[in-house]
Amino acid sequence: MLEIKDLRVSYGQDVILNGIDLELGSGETLAIVGESGTGKTTLGLSIMCLTEGTVRGVIRFNGKDLLTLSDNEMQQIRWSQIAMVFQNSNNVLNPVYTVLNQIMEPMVEHGLKSRDEARDRAAELLRYFGFPRDRFSAYPHQLSGGEQQRVLLAMAMANNPELLILDEPLSSLDAASRTEVGNLLRETDKHGAKLVATHDLDTVSKLADRMAVLYGGKIIEAGLTRDVLSRPRHPYTRALIRAYPNMTTVKDLQGIKGRMTRPVSGCPFHPRCTQVIDICRTKTPHLVWSEGRHIACHRGGIITLLSTKNLTTSFGSLKAIESVDLHIEAGETLALVGQTGSGKTTLAKTIMGLHQPTEGDVYLEDAKVDNRGKDFYKRVQMVFQNPGESLSHRLSVLEAVMEPLDIQGIGTDEERKERAIQVLGEVELPQTRDFLNKYPHQLSGGEMQRLAIARALVLDPALLIADEPTAFLDTSVQAKILKLLLNLQEQRGLSMLYITHDIAAARKVSDRIAVMLDGRVIEEGPSSEIIAAPKQEYTKSLLAAASALHSTKSSGIEQQKLNSQ
Amino acid sequence: MFSKRNLVAYTIAFLFILVLNFALPRMMPGDPLMAIYGDEALIAMTPELKAQLVERFALDKPLWQQFGAYFLTLFQGKLGYSYYYNAPVLSVILGRLPWTLLLVGTSLVFSTMLGIILGIESGWRRGSRTDRAMLAGLMSLNGFPDFFLGMLLLIAFGVTLGIFPLAGALTPYSGLSGLALVLDILRHLFLPVAALTLAHLANGYLLTRNTMITVLKEPYMLTAKAKGLSQRVLKYRHAGRNSMLPVVTQTGIWMGRVVTGALFVELVFAYPGVGYLTYEALLARDYPIIQGVFLLVAISVLVANFLIDLSYPKLDPRVSYAY
Amino acid sequence: MHIDLKKEIKESGPGRTGLIILLLMIAVALLAPVIAPYNPYQQSTASLLPPSWNHWLGTNHVGQDIWSRLVFGARTSLLVGFGVGILSTLLGTIFGVSAALLGGLYEKVVMRIVDAFIVIPMIIIVILISAYIRPSILTLILLLSLLSWQGGARIVRAQALSLKERGHVAAARSFGAHHFYIAWRHIVPDLGPILLVDFIYSVRRAVFMEAGLAFLGITDPTVVSWGMMMRDALSFSYLDVWQWWLVPTGVALSLIIIGLTFVGHAAEPVIEPRLRGAEVA
Repeated sequence: MLEIKDLRVSYGQDVILNGIDLELGSGETLAIVGESGTGKTTLGLSIMCLTEGTVRGVIRFNGKDLLTLSDNEMQQIRWSQIAMVFQNSNNVLNPVYTVLNQIMEPMVEHGLKSRDEARDRAAELLRYFGFPRDRFSAYPHQLSGGEQQRVLLAMAMANNPELLILDEPLSSLDAASRTEVGNLLRETDKHGAKLVATHDLDTVSKLADRMAVLYGGKIIEAGLTRDVLSRPRHPYTRALIRAYPNMTTVKDLQGIKGRMTRPVSGCPFHPRCTQVIDICRTKTPHLVWSEGRHIACHRGGIITLLSTKNLTTSFGSLKAIESVDLHIEAGETLALVGQTGSGKTTLAKTIMGLHQPTEGDVYLEDAKVDNRGKDFYKRVQMVFQNPGESLSHRLSVLEAVMEPLDIQGIGTDEERKERAIQVLGEVELPQTRDFLNKYPHQLSGGEMQRLAIARALVLDPALLIADEPTAFLDTSVQAKILKLLLNLQEQRGLSMLYITHDIAAARKVSDRIAVMLDGRVIEEGPSSEIIAAPKQEYTKSLLAAASALHSTKSSGIEQQKLNSQ
Repeated sequence: MFSKRNLVAYTIAFLFILVLNFALPRMMPGDPLMAIYGDEALIAMTPELKAQLVERFALDKPLWQQFGAYFLTLFQGKLGYSYYYNAPVLSVILGRLPWTLLLVGTSLVFSTMLGIILGIESGWRRGSRTDRAMLAGLMSLNGFPDFFLGMLLLIAFGVTLGIFPLAGALTPYSGLSGLALVLDILRHLFLPVAALTLAHLANGYLLTRNTMITVLKEPYMLTAKAKGLSQRVLKYRHAGRNSMLPVVTQTGIWMGRVVTGALFVELVFAYPGVGYLTYEALLARDYPIIQGVFLLVAISVLVANFLIDLSYPKLDPRVSYAY
Repeated sequence: MHIDLKKEIKESGPGRTGLIILLLMIAVALLAPVIAPYNPYQQSTASLLPPSWNHWLGTNHVGQDIWSRLVFGARTSLLVGFGVGILSTLLGTIFGVSAALLGGLYEKVVMRIVDAFIVIPMIIIVILISAYIRPSILTLILLLSLLSWQGGARIVRAQALSLKERGHVAAARSFGAHHFYIAWRHIVPDLGPILLVDFIYSVRRAVFMEAGLAFLGITDPTVVSWGMMMRDALSFSYLDVWQWWLVPTGVALSLIIIGLTFVGHAAEPVIEPRLRGAEVA
């Protein structure tokens, strides 16, 4: 019913929408997702031909290109076939007329109803959206935000439009109203189509069958809502979900590095993207159909950084790891959870080339890894369990961090020193001369581990394998290290293979969890799914045994006290 | 807007006028009675009347007692006697008042309505040639004092073209009645109303236009446009209705000046209203009349403002909130 | 709020026009003795003459040269206008700022008085007073100023109240500055644009008032005033004489008022920035 082709909207020099392609059929609800300033409101206004900017492209509604219509023709379509629920703000309703009156107005003006019929229908709509009966003659300034939102919804539905455009319809409502109104919206007018512009992923999940993510004036990912939200394929979409507090995902919140800017050329997201390559800076990617959804990325979406196929490592007859199929995507953290002896460390070391696999292969960016040369280690680094051992007590802090650079022969001495000091800053260690000259035994456990991490980062790897990095640290220090790792991921787009026995910690830092038992990966999936609905018994037992803070013991007296209160 | 604050202000205004009315004649050198009634009056008064008046106004007593007496007299509605017109002040004023009300009322209605409409149209087209022309034109018109406009109209249509009469509110001694009388009054009314309307047109226009400009930027105008409403509805029902409010308040304030508003025009056209009366009284030094008019002005100002305060909530629903 | 008043006026078409008109009028007033060929008070028997080379605008009913009177009349209008403008703006500033800074009972009293005076029509008070005393030019300026400072005071107080809350004022107070210093150094300078607009409108009102009062015959008859000239011309409106007596005088008066209106209008966005053109949000 609605087809948008290559829509471009600009206000003078500012390009707001840079080539949008969309399709919407009857009965569908499509969400346009974007943060503020991305142009979702402009998109809605353009469909109604209400923007003041320059509009180019095609907006075909029921076969007619709206952009070619005269103002008169468009006027007739507005609110009778296409209606909009504006963002709820002060003065979005005319302050001198009652709400009932304002809902009646479009019905009467479009000649669709008489005044009495209009009044009845307006009352009916208000009732449907839960607006209190005794307030029909209220004026806009007398309404609360939630009430005003209901009025806006009722008003939009006045003439039963075929296409309804909603701009942040639930944002000004409290949680309970959101569910209520969300249901009402879903139920109402199932034959019509709805376009929902919002930044709120909860709204998207409640209302929309399909969603399209807007960034930098372009759609960068689009598909079925449940697919995109559970397995986002564009780095921005993933970052958006990671930044959104919700009851489903379990990982700690992370932001997106940098700020929203409009780069002159190339992919609009490239300044903030963590898997950027040269072409991203020069050529704008097109929205293409790939594996069940649309995505605009030169690399086809989030790439798989490292994968293993049928990896088996034996020590004699003992199969330490067996038939391990794993993959780690760019910019994500995969937690490998298992007890001691499950093979986690062996797997890590096999990947690093410290053990030779007896079967199977390791692939780095789809290229088989046979010999691990300097190039490999530039991309994959490891942080070991015990920093006290992994750091040579002969090397000072500065020397330790510079060591990888020295080995790889990168840059001049001065440049290496500079780089080392910079990396120390990243892990939040002091950069003073005194500190640089210290030796590991003079540092605390936490400082040593940070140092180890700094050393691992100095080569600028894409993948960091962290083997129980907090095993030898105090709880509070552990928390800081975990946060540091999350921040590094946010800033550098680091991928991580996080090895731990503690599924509670894994839960807070990982996007995906793989559970290992006796050398095999028995379960693997998105963290939120594994935690909420584990399939394997072993996994369930791991979860049951994981650290929890609710007390399981309470004496009878205390229980009685609670009951009587 | 109706508040204690305003009430206090109005009371002060009223008291000020009363005090001024009271103080001025008594500050003059010489016989206070002469200052109150004027020299001509004094000649006509008998000694007994003079003694009576001295007693009534307590002129031989201390000042505060005089004020008390003055206040009392006023309260009784006795505004004094005009020796120039040979009639009680109150009746003289009341005799002239209807003409002023007719003149000012009519021109106020026209200038406000026309001003609002022009203001809406101008504001809607802000920046266009039409708007700029109207703006320049009306601002220039605003620069012409009402008496000058009156004189120009008088000379052009009255003297030169002879279409309209030159003076008065109706043709004297004509013995007309019914429709003919009404037409006669209208013919006499036309030029003065035209002069007043033109002189004050720009006020309503500018205010409406300015308000219109800010109103058009409000979110609800976009909402209204999205509703597919016609231009006319957008302009008047939505923008216009919201732009009217300041003008209506202003009009109310001008209503308070209804008595003096037409003073110059009445003079030019010798229109027998309160303004012309004031002028005549001024020339003749008929103080009781002047003071009577002054008091009338005070009262009408207060009443007008009071009415405006009462009616504002009906016009702007947001205001009743503040009650 | 950093809006350049001079720029505002210069950039607006009407503003420029108005400024030119005003400057022209001021020039005429200053150069009056030079451009007026006759003494404006000198009467002669050559009365009601039409325009000629001798008398550019002819003569009036007592044989005075109309052009000379026109030129000298500009002095009166401008003198009274600017005199009242300055004095009333000064009073308005003093009362407005002091009310804002001192607050309390003082503020309440002042503001009630302000409200009261705004409501009363100026002209009737002047008429009443004029019935008893005939005001000279100086008295007239004084009287009009006393009756017109209130409007400005209200605006100034509102602005001063908001300025009072600004950071730099709070800082000055924390250094121990007393009211006068704060008023002088921190508040009045920021009032500049508003005061100018108020000044322009005060001048306009005063010019109108003076002409109107002269028209009524209340003002000093020994002073040449356009209002008085128009009053005299009125009695002879049945003659052709209005063309060169009434019209130039009325037009001159209107021009000054128009000039002031235009300049005032161009300066208005200073107080209400939303009125500016499309450039500002």
